Amino acid sequence: MKKIKLTVEGMHCASCASNIERALKKVAGIKSVCVAILLNKVIIEAENNIDINEITKAISKVGYKVVKIE
Amino acid sequence: MEHQHNAKNPNKSMTAEEMNMTSEEHAKMMGGEHSKSHNHNQPVDNSEIVKWKRKLILTWIFTIPIALFMLFEKIFGKMIFGDLTSWIILAIGFPVIFVFGFETIKGGLRGFVTFYFNMDSLISLGTIIAYISGFLNFFGIVQDYSGIAAMIMSFYITGKYFEVKARGRASQEIIKLLHLGAKNARVLRNKQEIEIPIEEIKIGDIMIIKPGEKIPTDGIVIKGESAVDESMITGESIPNEKKIGNNVIGATINQDGILYVKATKIGKDTFLAHIIELVEEAQGTKVPIQKLADKITSIFIPTVLIISILTLIAWYIITKDFSKSLGITISVLVIACPCALGLATPTALMVGSGMGAKKGILIRKGEAIQTMKEIKIIVFDKTGTITKGKPEVTNIFSEVKENYLLEVAASLEKLSEHPVARAIVNKALEFKIKKYKSVEKFKILRGKGVEGYIGKKKIVIGNELLINERKISIKGFEDKIHKFEEEGKTTMIVSENDKVIGVIAVADALKEDSIEAIQLLNLSGYRTVMITGDNEKTAKSIAKQVGIKEVIANVLPEDKVKKIEELQMQGMVSFVGDGVNDAPALKQSNVGIAMGTGTDIAIESGDIVLTNGSLKGVVSAINLSKETFKKIKQNLFWAFAYNVIAIPIAIAGFLSPVIAEIAMATSSISVVTNANLLRNKRI
Repeated sequence: MKKIKLTVEGMHCASCASNIERALKKVAGIKSVCVAILLNKVIIEAENNIDINEITKAISKVGYKVVKIE
Repeated sequence: MEHQHNAKNPNKSMTAEEMNMTSEEHAKMMGGEHSKSHNHNQPVDNSEIVKWKRKLILTWIFTIPIALFMLFEKIFGKMIFGDLTSWIILAIGFPVIFVFGFETIKGGLRGFVTFYFNMDSLISLGTIIAYISGFLNFFGIVQDYSGIAAMIMSFYITGKYFEVKARGRASQEIIKLLHLGAKNARVLRNKQEIEIPIEEIKIGDIMIIKPGEKIPTDGIVIKGESAVDESMITGESIPNEKKIGNNVIGATINQDGILYVKATKIGKDTFLAHIIELVEEAQGTKVPIQKLADKITSIFIPTVLIISILTLIAWYIITKDFSKSLGITISVLVIACPCALGLATPTALMVGSGMGAKKGILIRKGEAIQTMKEIKIIVFDKTGTITKGKPEVTNIFSEVKENYLLEVAASLEKLSEHPVARAIVNKALEFKIKKYKSVEKFKILRGKGVEGYIGKKKIVIGNELLINERKISIKGFEDKIHKFEEEGKTTMIVSENDKVIGVIAVADALKEDSIEAIQLLNLSGYRTVMITGDNEKTAKSIAKQVGIKEVIANVLPEDKVKKIEELQMQGMVSFVGDGVNDAPALKQSNVGIAMGTGTDIAIESGDIVLTNGSLKGVVSAINLSKETFKKIKQNLFWAFAYNVIAIPIAIAGFLSPVIAEIAMATSSISVVTNANLLRNKRI
């Protein structure tokens, strides 16, 4: 298990938060998704071997941009 | 004493010298630092606000003429430039919708491709349909709504601007926290002072911090003495005196002396970094009451899309007036607002946790805010929570020489980490006992005491429980033991070969504001309970001093969880304790409040963490949670009410599209503004 903190651009309403949650829950290996919409942060708990590219791809597919990965 | 005096002097004089000799330079430096810290004190991300402001101005420059043309038509019944007017409106409206509104339209329309809708999807669809009606009008199909389209977009942008501004205000405390850290540090490298960016500090670096400067990172003072303002981290307004050996926290401000600090923690490991992580993560946690709102938000837009299509069909069947039906449909599309619903909880949580962070109250889980109002019983751990957690030996009563007693006791106790053990060892040091006896077969009996052999002598040191268990008679000592206990002291009975040789009483002073805090909680109607491993008498005495009526004594550390479970049968329980030893109890209770221990916070335990050790923080945390939750409830109520009322009115055809858009924008602004009003509450 590891924690990944993303800064995501383009989230501006609650629907955006739920879109990202929905999209990420479909990515294998992700345990939990937390969207702090007012801070533009998405905090993910995922298995250690998760592919970060899968995550950024899933997010960009629904129309948002990952600008920072921590 | 003398030593301390000497150590203090050179630094003080150095400070004065520095100030005198280079006062000009010093002022410059202070000024420089000031402007620097000013920079990070203005951290609210303005780029978003600036962006929307620019859009706002541009869009109205174009939209005002359109509004005037439409007004002219209303008043005089004819179009200002005749048939050309429609073309002019379409031309002016184009940049409003597709240039200034580009981001909105693009994001919104994408939803129709990916089926991940957002609130822009509704606005985009509404404005585009309205704009296209301008072209259809030339064929006489439908009334021209293109002017309306421009106005909808303009009001949307206006609303967005105010919302972004209010959101900026809602997050200002937290954003400030994110930017609180120092940017640069002055360190000693190769005997030279050099200024380096904070990222380049290494553990073990000696940092030099002048008066008025921020301490770059966590460390330990190795030279100098000064008052340090820690209010930004702990909320404690009185500066803390720091001298050699004291820990200092990065981002706090050195006030009057020069400090030489050895860096002990850097980057992600610092106290500030932990606080930031905690606060940031809390923003994404859910408050249970929001669940319904979340569910609604997730199906809101498709639902509204279906409703709007049904509205169009129904109105057309009833009235056979396509223009009117389309106008009403546009109203339905733009008035529906999932935004207010979605912002209700996060904004209130943001303002609340920001206010808390400023006062040293860190809300880790949104859920705690909701649970807090159900709490009936507050259980306090004694040591380190109600008391300072630094026990000292107050009395020694023995049949042998005090020196001998202490020597025996300290020889065993120095092998234990327990605070009481440390108190005994400290006392031995005071007695100048330097040589300890070697101890064999040493054993720690958790919650009871210690035992071991010194040579052939069997030594047992512990509380009455242990001594009774070993069937050692305390005859001749009972009176003393009970007297100490009634005074709230912990007594350690020292026995040698199953015979008591003396008693050592240890007392742990109350924290200054424990009494006041407990009184406030009692007055608010909470059942306050103290839990401790101490025996009944000692515990009761402390409880009485602090104003707690109920005591659970003689509790072994591992039994705390069980005791809390028992209390939970009678009502929701909040447990207040230090995050290190009490982690299981904190987890078991409904709201765990972890007390910070100076420079360490136990991140993983506790739903709420107090960074300063004061029990008054518990009172504030309760008030803050209740007020924040009240705001969340208000916000959700208004957001629900708005949609429940506004959508039917729009369907019924009582709202023009422009008024609908204004109402929508107002609803989300009002939710964020209401959250900001939380700041007016005293906590």
